[in-house]
Amino acid sequence: MNIRLDPRTKLYMILIVSAVVMMSATTPLLWAVRIIITLVPIVLLIAEKRYASAFRFFALYTIALILTFFFLSDESTGIIKSLLTGYCGIIAQFLPAMITAWYVIRTTKIDEFISAMQKMHIPDGITISLAVVMRFFPTIKEEYLAIRDAMKMRGISLGGGNVIKMIEYRMIPLLFSCVNIGDELSAAAITKGLGGKIKRTSVAVLKTGAADIVLITGFTVAAAVFVIFKYFV
Amino acid sequence: MANVKGNTSPKKNLGVKDFITVGIFTAIMFVVEFACAMLGYIHPVMVAGLSVLIPLVGCIPMMLFYTKIEKFGMITIMSVLIAIIMFVTGMGYLGAPLIILSGVIADLIAKSGGYKSFKKTVLSNGIFSLWICANYFPVIITADSYRKDLIDGDYSAEYCDNLFGAINYKTIAVLLILCFVFGCIGALIGKAAIKKHFEKAGIV
Repeated sequence: MNIRLDPRTKLYMILIVSAVVMMSATTPLLWAVRIIITLVPIVLLIAEKRYASAFRFFALYTIALILTFFFLSDESTGIIKSLLTGYCGIIAQFLPAMITAWYVIRTTKIDEFISAMQKMHIPDGITISLAVVMRFFPTIKEEYLAIRDAMKMRGISLGGGNVIKMIEYRMIPLLFSCVNIGDELSAAAITKGLGGKIKRTSVAVLKTGAADIVLITGFTVAAAVFVIFKYFV
Repeated sequence: MANVKGNTSPKKNLGVKDFITVGIFTAIMFVVEFACAMLGYIHPVMVAGLSVLIPLVGCIPMMLFYTKIEKFGMITIMSVLIAIIMFVTGMGYLGAPLIILSGVIADLIAKSGGYKSFKKTVLSNGIFSLWICANYFPVIITADSYRKDLIDGDYSAEYCDNLFGAINYKTIAVLLILCFVFGCIGALIGKAAIKKHFEKAGIV
């Protein structure tokens, strides 16, 4: 099974999910809407054959929900319970937005993203910078892991217990490699004709298919139900 | 001819290289913010501590960013990106005006120093640090309903009491000042760190 979604649909999904996440769910119906909205990107991740991450998100979300509903309540006091309540609340609150953002970042090719943003007439500055941000999170993680390995090898991973040193040892090499990668990236971008005065054509053809229409309708309905039942009923 | 002219006057227009620089440093700043915000889960008072932590931890990337700025608009674009990322990660849109406003003002201040004057850079970084307070906006503006939302949303009452004890109408002024002051201090530290590491290596 292979669903190719239009990047604009994905952006719309992010918009709806972040809006719904900001309003807290108070009744079972609202929780149901929210859980369904969260399940959609997980299903999409499975459809993209990203089983591991889909399973990880699903497990995390389920555990947080089960703990929230069955083991914790407003009266839970004591340090562990109140901490746990805080964690589960935060996970249940923010994870849907995280999952959706992760799905979009991982499955949208940069050229698709740029051509979608161009079609929506977003200024070049925002488009290019945003594309770089999206592309850069995995790079930062990779570079950071490399730095950590190098530090482990020399046995200075804790910086002698000095917090400032700990930050400095990680931050400075990270910045060095990021600056270098940035230079390479700009060279590559210029080769590909980004930032020219002429309108670029794109290999990625954006088509709105049946799946897009279904998802857009579904998310719109979900958001409408959420707002109506939260504020007007 | 107009096109050719646009390409040959690098002083005025932002180019691809600038956009990429903005993107990279925004990503780094967001990672810094995210890492610091994790501490907020430990205890709500730490959430208020963000206004000290983020400027101090983020000072080195910010100052490195300032050395790369030559044209108006880069700090503004960064603030817009931060506003977008905050919205996408579920922090809400209430803080967006503050973030973008502080970005534009910081940009103007840095511009008045020609992006070279160190004093103006310190001031500009202080102003730009105010965006951190946007994290608190949902707490302050909608204090009552937000508190109810949090408790309904299964945060413990204890967490809420601590949170609202640390962040409310009275303390926001203090938090804003803290952001500004530590933004300025951060600029000094960042400058020293850059001198120590990057100028020697010839990156700046």
